[in-house]
Amino acid sequence: MVGAIVEFATLPLVEFPFESNYVRSIVYVSLYVSLTAVLLSTLVSLPVAMLVGFAEFPGRRLAIALINTGMGLPSVVVGLAVLFLVSNQGPLGTFDLVFTKEAMIMSQFVLATPVITGVSLAAVTGVDEGVRDASYALGGTRLDVALVTIKEARYGIATGVLAGLGRAISEVGSVLIVGGNIAGADGTAITRTLTTAIQLEARQGRFELALVLGAILLVLVLLVNAVVLRLGGGRI
Amino acid sequence: MSDRVIETPHRRVEDGIVATDVSHGFDDTGVLDEISLGLERGEILAVIGPSGTGKTTLLELLAAFYPPNEGEIRMNGGDVWSQSERERLAARRRIGMVFQEPNLFDTTVRRNVSYGLHVRRDWRSRLREWGTRLFGEGTSLPVTEALETVGLADVATQTVRSLSGGEAQRVAFARALAYDPDVLLLDEPTSDLDPRNTAVIEDAIGTARNQGIGVAVATHDMHQAERLADRVAVMLDGSLIEVGPTERVFSDPDDPRARRFIDGELVYTAGEKGD
Repeated sequence: MVGAIVEFATLPLVEFPFESNYVRSIVYVSLYVSLTAVLLSTLVSLPVAMLVGFAEFPGRRLAIALINTGMGLPSVVVGLAVLFLVSNQGPLGTFDLVFTKEAMIMSQFVLATPVITGVSLAAVTGVDEGVRDASYALGGTRLDVALVTIKEARYGIATGVLAGLGRAISEVGSVLIVGGNIAGADGTAITRTLTTAIQLEARQGRFELALVLGAILLVLVLLVNAVVLRLGGGRI
Repeated sequence: MSDRVIETPHRRVEDGIVATDVSHGFDDTGVLDEISLGLERGEILAVIGPSGTGKTTLLELLAAFYPPNEGEIRMNGGDVWSQSERERLAARRRIGMVFQEPNLFDTTVRRNVSYGLHVRRDWRSRLREWGTRLFGEGTSLPVTEALETVGLADVATQTVRSLSGGEAQRVAFARALAYDPDVLLLDEPTSDLDPRNTAVIEDAIGTARNQGIGVAVATHDMHQAERLADRVAVMLDGSLIEVGPTERVFSDPDDPRARRFIDGELVYTAGEKGD
């Protein structure tokens, strides 16, 4: 599903001035990995934010501290940890995930989840208690109250998802470690993303291409911002 | 506590709510002390008393927001906190509540007013509803009727951000009325409103009573209580000191403290002013 959307979104790049297939495949890998990671992060982050925000349980403060700490996780450390997990000796070694997009998704998931959870936590706990009371008083179940809370906090949550996407798509260290920055023999990217390609092209002195890739990265982030701004009716 | 106060909960209350010997507090602070009070369908009960005397807590207990520390809240003949969660949900769904603040959801007026109907649908119907919204959205008859009751049928498609404070509170009232509850609990519903919006809400309260809905209004507005209520319950420092027909309570209360409060001499609770 994500793959099909990304493929459609990158169609206009077919006529790119140089090495169009190479650039197009890099954009595809970047978007596929980051959007999948952020989608999975969001699915985990929202229930966690609701749980930590509203449930009383031992260790709640510790959980908040861990989320806040996770926002500043060094990406190379995450890359190392994921590499250990997916390496032949690691617990996920049997799945043969080293230097795959799936491993890159895992590392970006780890990086994006604390950001989305932390910002969503602030957003949902900022929802007026009276609105939650109203949902309950009107016959809502606990799930209905939670849904109302998420809906009321939607702009804050969207900001969190955007921040998570920004963290994921602009990240270099961990995807380089677990992905390996690989391009196939035909010149199409396999685990090469915009950031790792920029790093490689700059090192090889192909500054023009590096700058173009950088511009694409910026445009993508701007596009996502514009979409979220539009959805939020300009309130973000 | 007078005999007249005690007699109330032992009356058979059909399809209403009865609180029996309810005591409650938060942390180590007692808020309510052995309250016994019934609300029948088709009557307006005004709960009056100084600020901070526990009126809001009493209404929240009647709405089954949380269980009382002691005593019972009975609906449909059973203690709601002895019932299964499903039965309690069914009991809660017979109640409508309006708060001092409108507490509207950040969406259109009609989606606010239809919320109570929406949460009563099963998930398949809800998904179908979400799907049909993509192709346009209408205003259902109960929503239109509830908005007509508060004179706001023409703002159904507006967002709540465009409403004045008084209109927002009227929408909150319509929202509680739309799903045809048996009981309405109103917590100072007009305390922040101008006379015109207050009059609209009071008319709507009267209409609800005439439709057979039992209405409990917590208020510190003596005139409003006298205008609206069939019965009045006077609270002081978490206790019920007087319950009875409005005319008698206002003209000849049993408890001298109720007399002082009605005469405007007792404004603060003991906790607040060392009264």
